[in-house]
Amino acid sequence: MKYWEDFKVGEAIELGSCAITEAEILAFARKYDPQPFHTDPEAARRSIFGGLIASGWHTCALLMRLSVDAARRDGAAGTGSPGLDACRWLKPVRPGDVLTGRTAVLETWPSRSKPIGFIRRRNEMVNQHGEVVVSVVGITMYERRPGAAA
Amino acid sequence: MKYFEDVQVGDVMRFGRYEVTRDEIVEYARQFDPQPFHLDEEAARASMFGGLIASGWHTGAMFIRMVVEHMTPIHATSGAMGFDDLKWIRPVRPGDVLSVESEIREKIESRSRPDRGTVKIESRVSNQRGEVVMSLVSLVIYLRR
Repeated sequence: MKYWEDFKVGEAIELGSCAITEAEILAFARKYDPQPFHTDPEAARRSIFGGLIASGWHTCALLMRLSVDAARRDGAAGTGSPGLDACRWLKPVRPGDVLTGRTAVLETWPSRSKPIGFIRRRNEMVNQHGEVVVSVVGITMYERRPGAAA
Repeated sequence: MKYFEDVQVGDVMRFGRYEVTRDEIVEYARQFDPQPFHLDEEAARASMFGGLIASGWHTGAMFIRMVVEHMTPIHATSGAMGFDDLKWIRPVRPGDVLSVESEIREKIESRSRPDRGTVKIESRVSNQRGEVVMSLVSLVIYLRR
């Protein structure tokens, strides 16, 4: 098990990689973000993006999936998130891109009222060209090591 | 069409109606956020949430669906740079009906791209009891007239 006490400021965590296909981009966008540059390859070619791009909310969903899978591998005792400070979609994500996730631990502090602790982290996804496509700074909560909470 | 010049700080828009189903919560979670309290009724009952809840990112996705359906067709926007200060305030559960209230907070002209500007829009997503479940400040790109 990885508890709140086990996260150290400055720690870098590799989250693994995933590929994104045109079919996935279209399926997500048709359900949740049906703007032409996400749902229609032809219209996307004529848009300022010059081709189909993934919804930013789809990119974030993939980052979440990598985070959940990594937490499971680490046995991290996560209990959700109260929110995010900032999210920036920095570069378009296109069909065939391979995205690699990484986390940097920025800050840690314990809850005063519950046996949990908070971690402020920066999660990023980098494409196969080494470009950061999305950066999310947010807070996640973890259980404290049994017996450690005051 | 509402362009950058047409939206004013303080403008409020209310829109959307999204019925949240158990199947959709589980389907989204299987794909993107497979934590027990999003996937499995039994495990969720035993968790601190006391029952199945939607992934926070799923709530974000349902929010953007309402925005794209109701705002995008009448606002000359070209995507968004991201958002600030997102809060997941209350759990979203099967049977909830969500809607959105958005308020224009700030307009920022672009120095490098005279054909557009950024508009900060604060949005609150509420359930059928009027409780805010999620809030955020989006950084939306508007085209100029």
